[in-house]
Amino acid sequence: MIKKIFFSFFILFHFSIIFSQEQPEKKINNIIQEKVKEYSTEINFKKASLFFIEKKWDSTLVYAMRQLNASTTQEITDYCHYYRGVSFQKKKILKEAQKEFSFISSNFHLYNRVLLSLGDISLELNEYKKAISYFKNVEKLPDFKKQYFKKIAVPINLGLCYLHLKEFNKAKLYLLKGIKILESNKDTLLTIRTYSNIATLFYEQYKDHLAIPYYKKAYQLSKTTKSYDVKMITAKNMAVVEENRKNYLLSLTYRKEYEKWKDSLNDQNKIWEVAELEKQFAIKQKQKEVSLLQAENKVKIAERNGLLYSAIVLLLLLSVGIYFYREKIKTNKIILAQKKALNTLNATKDKLFSIVSHDLRSSVNALKTSNTKLLENLKSKNLEELDTLLHQNSTIANGAYNMLDNLLHWALLQTKQSYFKINAMHLFFIVEQTAYNYKPLLLDKNISLQNNILKNNVVYADQESLKIVLRNLLDNAIKFSPPNTTIKIYSKNLNNTYYDLIIEDSGLGMDQNTCIELLKDSELLSKKKNDDIIGTGLGLQLSKSMIKKNNGKFSIESELGKGTKMIVSLPKSLLNGSN
Amino acid sequence: MDLISILIIEDTPKESDALIKILEANNYKVVGIATNFKDALAIYYNTKVDLVIIDIFLNGNPDGITFAETISTIPTIAKPFVFLTSSTDRKIFERAKLTRPFCYLMKPFNQLEILYAIEMAVERFYEQTNVFLSEEENTVISKEYLFIKKGKALKKVLITSIIYIEVEEKYCNIITENEKFVILISLTKIIKLLDNAFFFRTHRNYIVNSEKIIEIIPSDNLILLEGNHRATLSDTYKDLIKKIRTLK
Repeated sequence: MIKKIFFSFFILFHFSIIFSQEQPEKKINNIIQEKVKEYSTEINFKKASLFFIEKKWDSTLVYAMRQLNASTTQEITDYCHYYRGVSFQKKKILKEAQKEFSFISSNFHLYNRVLLSLGDISLELNEYKKAISYFKNVEKLPDFKKQYFKKIAVPINLGLCYLHLKEFNKAKLYLLKGIKILESNKDTLLTIRTYSNIATLFYEQYKDHLAIPYYKKAYQLSKTTKSYDVKMITAKNMAVVEENRKNYLLSLTYRKEYEKWKDSLNDQNKIWEVAELEKQFAIKQKQKEVSLLQAENKVKIAERNGLLYSAIVLLLLLSVGIYFYREKIKTNKIILAQKKALNTLNATKDKLFSIVSHDLRSSVNALKTSNTKLLENLKSKNLEELDTLLHQNSTIANGAYNMLDNLLHWALLQTKQSYFKINAMHLFFIVEQTAYNYKPLLLDKNISLQNNILKNNVVYADQESLKIVLRNLLDNAIKFSPPNTTIKIYSKNLNNTYYDLIIEDSGLGMDQNTCIELLKDSELLSKKKNDDIIGTGLGLQLSKSMIKKNNGKFSIESELGKGTKMIVSLPKSLLNGSN
Repeated sequence: MDLISILIIEDTPKESDALIKILEANNYKVVGIATNFKDALAIYYNTKVDLVIIDIFLNGNPDGITFAETISTIPTIAKPFVFLTSSTDRKIFERAKLTRPFCYLMKPFNQLEILYAIEMAVERFYEQTNVFLSEEENTVISKEYLFIKKGKALKKVLITSIIYIEVEEKYCNIITENEKFVILISLTKIIKLLDNAFFFRTHRNYIVNSEKIIEIIPSDNLILLEGNHRATLSDTYKDLIKKIRTLK
């Protein structure tokens, strides 16, 4: 039973040593940093020192070893051995630590720490005598060298050693010395432990009356701490004590308290575990929430993108729709306009047909009646009358032929079936050739025709269409000229681009309005004022179209009663864009 | 001067009759009338023809164009021709246009138009345009003939029959074995167009046919020609003697 108590105390004590070394560490670290500055060229030393301060023991071991292999001064060597010793001690490789510490010279600045560490190691290895000799050496050191550790550690450790060696008197001496210092330091945990140790000391000597107050003191003090460990052990100690005094009721109370603290300790561990679990759970929950939010976000983005794309698609569809709608409207407009134009053209055509057929009918009818007359006159052998009638017939046939010819060319022009080639033309000869056909007609009306065009006037035009134009203009001129007058054809060279061909008659003439009317593009058919001399207007329209196709210009100068000038301007050279 | 021989290819007798009437009235000689492609070729190869007047449509087919294409393929036998047609149908014209030189005349035509068309055909065929219609010139020169416009019609003169040419300003006196006449042509042009293997300039104003030379008397600057004609040989052109093949 007693041994059990002792065992538990021993473990407690050992922990107290390590605790006791924490505070002076800052001082040591400062010293090391100063040394690093001093030996700033030794990179391995620097690294070893830094790792030492950061308590990375493995790295410290490696770099300190490297520094030792290339070491220069005694001081650095001592430091490196110190680093390695401490590192081994921390890693619980105690024999190696002892070896490292033994290499350090006694001049080393932290030699007291070395001795203390050696003592600690010996204590842990249960080499109590060795430990006592190390601690005694530390105790003997002058005060100024004790600054790098807690002074309390030495007497308590010495006391502990003697306790183990059962040298109770010496143990009592050191422990009481220690407790005095502790009481002034108010280090509660260490005080409780020391009280317990002293109590054990007396208990081992069966000095129960001395031991029990220390146990009680420890127990009372433990109530002020929060450490379940200490509370549990003191309570257990009290329970054992009371049990030995056969005070079972009290013992039971302490035992229960011990159980309580033990449970609390377990509970605390459990609580801690539960808290850990809760924490993990909470983290998981949070993670879930986060992933949920992320998923939601993704869905939202997808939704937004979807909306955007569909909006774009809809917009596109809309614009395409609008475009096609507008195109359709445009096409409809064009179609409507074309329809209108076609209707007008169709109406004109119909009108033209009726007029042409009417004219042809009357022409043929005239020939028919004339032929009857001819036959009658032939029977009566009235030769003079025959001659006039034949001349009349010829004129009628000519007129009809010209009209049919125009009709044919008009149709060809509309369907663009006709051959058309612009060449150089001698104006004089073309006029001569065209006028040749009108010789009988001119003779009949006793009209003289003067061709005053210069022979060197060359124009660029299509041969056939130019002839058609000239035929129609000459036809008109002769038609509107009274007998015994003159028709003059001449040219004017007024500018660089065109020759003006002028056909001048001294016939009926026209007023200004008629001229404008005739020059209009759309006006195909003039009104029939006079059945005898005003035709369909087809000839003039055809001429205008032909002149236009030949890149020429057409104008009329006329005065009522005085005569008319028909002016055709034709290019002197090949114009760009003409075929 | 000789009349120009014309071959007419026309399937309608009425129209060919009218055409013959006009041509003969204007001193042209019609040497044959063909009504189809085969006959036309036969007459063309067997007769000396100066010009052909071709109706595009023979019995409804554009054989006239085929005929023109046939004679145009061989340059040595090609002669000037004029197309006659009553339709300006574009497709037909596009084909006819490919026969060069392309001259056409629309039916119905009058006397002036056909004469004009013949002159144009000759001008374009021998690539000497703007001759007959201008007032400065009246002669087109081919390898064989001079085509001269006399009055309303053309005449021809066999070049080998020329003995010598005497130039007087823009006129040229042509002296042949049988006659003597004046044509309108520039000296530079006539020298360029006459075959220089036979015709040599002996003086500023004389062009002599070397075939017609009887004797050259350099000391008197004189050339004696056939038919008792004489031409002057000036010092500038005396190296002519070296060029002429002479008996030694």
